Amino acid sequence: MRLFQRKGKAVETIEDEALGLFLFDEVTDALAAERALKASGYQVSLVAPPPHLRAGCDLAVALPRVEQLGAQRVLAESSVHVRDWVDGTEESTGICDLVTTVDFGRWLMVRAGNMKIVVDKDSREIVNTSGGGCPDIPYLNLRYVGELLSDVGRPKDVGFTLCGLMLDRAYLEACALLDGKAPT
Amino acid sequence: MSLLVVATYPVEGGALLKGQVTLESDGSLAVDGSPIPASQGTSALLSAACQAASHLGEPTPHALVAGDIGRGDGTRAVYKHLAETASRVQPAVVVFHYMQPIMALLRHGLDELLDVCPDALLVADAGGMYAAKAAGLAPRFELMTPDVGEIGFLADPQATHPAYVARYLFGGGDFDPAVLARKAYESGGSSRVLLIKGAIDHIVEKGEVAAVVEEPTVPALEAIGGTGDTITGLASALLSAGFDSVDAAVCASRANREAGLAMQATPAMRASDLVSRLPQVLEKNLDRWRNHSSDGAVT
Repeated sequence: MRLFQRKGKAVETIEDEALGLFLFDEVTDALAAERALKASGYQVSLVAPPPHLRAGCDLAVALPRVEQLGAQRVLAESSVHVRDWVDGTEESTGICDLVTTVDFGRWLMVRAGNMKIVVDKDSREIVNTSGGGCPDIPYLNLRYVGELLSDVGRPKDVGFTLCGLMLDRAYLEACALLDGKAPT
Repeated sequence: MSLLVVATYPVEGGALLKGQVTLESDGSLAVDGSPIPASQGTSALLSAACQAASHLGEPTPHALVAGDIGRGDGTRAVYKHLAETASRVQPAVVVFHYMQPIMALLRHGLDELLDVCPDALLVADAGGMYAAKAAGLAPRFELMTPDVGEIGFLADPQATHPAYVARYLFGGGDFDPAVLARKAYESGGSSRVLLIKGAIDHIVEKGEVAAVVEEPTVPALEAIGGTGDTITGLASALLSAGFDSVDAAVCASRANREAGLAMQATPAMRASDLVSRLPQVLEKNLDRWRNHSSDGAVT
């Protein structure tokens, strides 16, 4: 059994650019913004806002400052509510990128940060999800357990919080390890 | 002595429920007569707390819960009713569990709660713990029950959610819960007592390890959603029955492991399988454990 195997993953960064942040009231708004902006061709990343701008379970979208105007238009057209824009990303931090696995023989457990997903390696059935502390995690547990990995929506599309986002990372890793590719 | 659990349950738009919790013999759970679904999370905590209360002849927990699937609506609803409920129930112990971790809500809620129940012991896990730590309120709590993916969060003064914990603080090969627990205590990110759930459970008091529990070893428990919640439920119920906090944590850890062993846990089982084993485990062991739980290193 492998315990706490480290797996490095590329951190989403936009190098050599002067960046700014879109701030949101809800994690779901940040996730919707990321989707809309990426679909429009923008290179963006999800980050934690600087500590003095955080309310708890919140998330920001970083992108080059020079692209703010066009990006803001995309968000308005997509009906994504933006709380504010700040120039600069000082004191913002990336989301934990540490993914580990435990091989239980018939079952594979993938942990991303504080979230875990357990899959039957033969049938691809999700047999458990665990960890986290936000209210969408028990909801995702009810939705996912007993379903096939390929039959469920991505946790970041079904859930609403940072814990849901971390479960998404575990889910993607499970798909990649067991099926050789991660859903988009 | 009474226990109040403040939390949410995973039903979209689910009603606010406040009242006594009942656990039926088939494992179904209800609050004030209204059923709530069995899953990981607060239903696992409540089920385990019911088993412990039943064994000790104590009243089952009182719950203040509302439906919330991650939008925060149920969380806001329970905070609105917290002071009134606590004033009526006068709990000895209040647990904050799966909730949207919004710092301002917890700050306001705690102020109101402690106005009406100034002596209540506070316990936090899951979103309740995230909010308490992020808001700088962790030292006001008697017990928190992080797992190995969360103790780094408590130790990281900058983190407001475990998703933002610095990589080096997450559980890896060089991971040392005792070091992180001390760091958390010194930086104001810890309750007075911590129960750190992992392959080895560490019970920490004021930043120093008071006991460890490592037997029986049941690795599959880590994979089963809700088996950390059952530990928190057990510890909270024991605390409300008058156990010392370290004793409560040690006995909860041991009971959870013994139940996992008795159920012959596999990663595909449920927290309800563990809960169903608790009556026999508690009956057989709790008196003996209570008298020897503070001996230091425990196996």
